[in-house]
Parts: sequence; C-alpha cells; structure tokens
Amino acid sequence: MASSIPYQGTKRKVPPLPSQTLLSKIFHWINIISLLLMISSGLQIYNANPVFGGREGWHFPGFLLLGGWLGAGRHWHFAAMWFFSLNLLWYGIYIFITRRWRHRFVNGKDIKVLQTSDNIKRINYAWHRLVYTGIIPVLLLAILTGLAMYKPVQFYWLSGLFGSWQILRTVHFITIPIVILFTLAHSLLALKVGSVRLVKSMFI
Amino acid sequence: MSLILPKNTLSRRRLLQLSGLSGASLLLGGCALDIFSDNVGQVFEPLNQTFEELLLSQKPVPEFPKIAIEPKQLLINTYDETPDIDLDTFQLTIDGAVNHPLQLSMMDIQKMPLTSMVIRHICVEGWSAIVQWGGVRLRDLARLVQPKSSVRYVYFKSADGYYESWDIASALHPQTLMAYQKNGAPLPVENGAPLRLASPIKLGYKQSKWVTKITFVNKLLSAKGYWEDQGYEWFGGL
Repeated sequence: MASSIPYQGTKRKVPPLPSQTLLSKIFHWINIISLLLMISSGLQIYNANPVFGGREGWHFPGFLLLGGWLGAGRHWHFAAMWFFSLNLLWYGIYIFITRRWRHRFVNGKDIKVLQTSDNIKRINYAWHRLVYTGIIPVLLLAILTGLAMYKPVQFYWLSGLFGSWQILRTVHFITIPIVILFTLAHSLLALKVGSVRLVKSMFI
Repeated sequence: MSLILPKNTLSRRRLLQLSGLSGASLLLGGCALDIFSDNVGQVFEPLNQTFEELLLSQKPVPEFPKIAIEPKQLLINTYDETPDIDLDTFQLTIDGAVNHPLQLSMMDIQKMPLTSMVIRHICVEGWSAIVQWGGVRLRDLARLVQPKSSVRYVYFKSADGYYESWDIASALHPQTLMAYQKNGAPLPVENGAPLRLASPIKLGYKQSKWVTKITFVNKLLSAKGYWEDQGYEWFGGL
C-alpha cells in the first residue's frame, strides 16, 4: 500500500520516506508466509489426484511440494489455514474499524484516472491500488472454496453454489496461478510507484 | 523515477538479488520443512479435531436426487487385495463393551429396516462421487447389542486385515450405515461386499469395506486405523 506519491512540483527534492503501520506490515508478512505454506502443501494434496486429468494427469514436481506425501501435505495445509484465514479476518476488521478501506484501497477516483488521466505516475498509482485491492476477493474465494471442500456437510449450501465438485476443486486451484501473477504485478507496480523505498517500507 | 538517488538504484539491484536468493532458499527450505510435518500434525490435529467435533451434529446431511448419482466417479481404493468371502458362512460379529454380543448372518441383517441415502462420498485424495448406499443403520445394530454407557469408540475389522476406529457420535449418526447396496444394486465385491461402512460425515478411508467385526470400546488403542497409523488424521470428519 503506497502511503505517499512522489512530489511532482519541487525538483531534486527527496520525498519523505514512505511508512506503513505496524499492523499492515504484520498482516503482509503473515499473509506471504501462510500463503507460501498453503500453496506448497496444496500442490502436495493436488498431486494425490490431479484436478486436471485425475490419477493419469500431470503432477507437480517435488521441489514445489511441502510435506513429501499426502498425509503430511494435509497436516501443513490444515495448520496453515488458521494463520491464513484468521490473519485475513483481523485485517478485515482492522481496515473496517480504522476506515482504511475508504482511502487505502481502489476507489472511483482511481477508476477515473485510469480512464481519463495523462499523468503516468498517477495512472501507475491507480493501477497499483486496483491490483492490490483486487487480490482480496481472490483470497476470500480461496478460503470459501476450501471451506466448501473441507466441511461440505455443514457448508453444503456453499459447496452447492459451485455446481459440481470438479468446479469447486478447479476454482480452489485457480487461485494459485492468480496469486502468483498478482505477486509479480504487485511487486513491479510497487517498484514503479514508490521504488525500492516503498517496498522496503512494507517489509522492514 | 527521476527522483531516485543513485544509491537507491543500487539497492534496487540488491533487492532483486535478495529476492532471487530468498526464492531459492524457499525452495530448498520447503524440503527441509518436510521433517517437521509430524510435529505440525501433532500440534494442529487436536485443534482441528475439536473444531470438527463442534461442527458434528446428529442432523441428517441433505441428500442428492437419484439423477445426481455419478457411477463412474467412485474409484476403487484398497490397501491390499480383494478378500474371498463365503456368503454362506459369513457372520458379522458385534462385541466389546456391550450387554448382548451378537453374530449376524447377511440374512439376519437384510431382515432389518433398510435405509437408503444418496450422498457425496469424498476421498482424502481430493476426488468425490455422488453414490446411493443402502443398508442397515449402525445405530440400529447398536440398539440390538446395547453398548454400555462407558463406550466412546467403535472399532471395525475387515476381512482383508484393514482396521478402523470411529468416535461413537459419528458411528451413531442416522446416516452411518453398514451398507450392502450401491446405486440400487447389490454391493459389488470390489466396493466391499457383503458389508461395508458408508457415511456422508467421514472421509473415504474411514469407511471400511468387507467389515466382519464391530467392537464397541471405552478407549482408543494405540492402533487407531490402517491409514491413521501411517499418519492420516484420525477424526477424518467432513
């Protein structure tokens, strides 16, 4: 999340260092680590019966997997799920209470900029906000589709929304390539918008 | 980007180097993490089990219409070979901490009320199949033998040597059946004939085929189940 746009008027003046709240940094770190665990253990589970092609389908290579076998992959997946989902939950409450959602996420102004502006910096910034806002519903979708498969008895209505089990599995899986593409776009846009100083501000 | 000082462009290169390095170490670290899998399981299995037990109710799970049945989706998983069972001499033994231990033939079992259900069978591997199962409720069998009030678990022994254990609440769920029908026909031997467990509330590996013995017990033994003893979670609830 960019907290400052580089000054545009004054020449050769270094803008103030961007800074993030401690809570945002904690969220960002836990999100990255738990997602890495979810993805690598998820691919381990995937390999037990590939979503595409079943047992005869293509399998992911071992170096991407976490656990070494299905049982261990499930241990990791159902441990990391608590960190991943509860982290997203408290962050949601946090941005709601502090009303960050109103000014730290994409809004009508950004959309207008993307449609009409010639200011390349402002356009990049609008893209940046659009992309990192857009990943949140994808993360929620990963949780919902996961819950629909983990507890299909209690959440039968949720499982039912997706039509078939195959669709449910496919949607759950598709969140992985989306997250990977997002990570690339998000990193590049963050560097474009605030250079390494902005990236540093979120990690350190 | 004109406002970036030279030292910053340098540190950007440094950053890219660092991200490359951390990416590589993550991949290597992934393999190193594998040795902690058992610890992760030990720490989180009790938590997940409590969560699953809280969600468990005796309310029947909503069923599917008959046209939703997916006959080809149900894969055959066995850990060993399909056993040879002589139907004429087959006896289901029900014993343990019960007031009236019993031995029942398939004739005896088929005289009891038949319960049919169309449910989703879900395998630990990730696939699922909508199946019709017909059989006798385990709770009806329990009523015959009258488990003592101290009973907390049920063991299932199979003709092929497979063994399983369940919590009593799941075993007495109204849709936990000892099934002898599949998709409107007699249960095929590769699916567990003459008698197998079938339930919408447990993963497939909990649903033993070729069951020959049901034992009600007060305590879990160290041998909890064939796959559980290899490292799968014991509760396996859905």
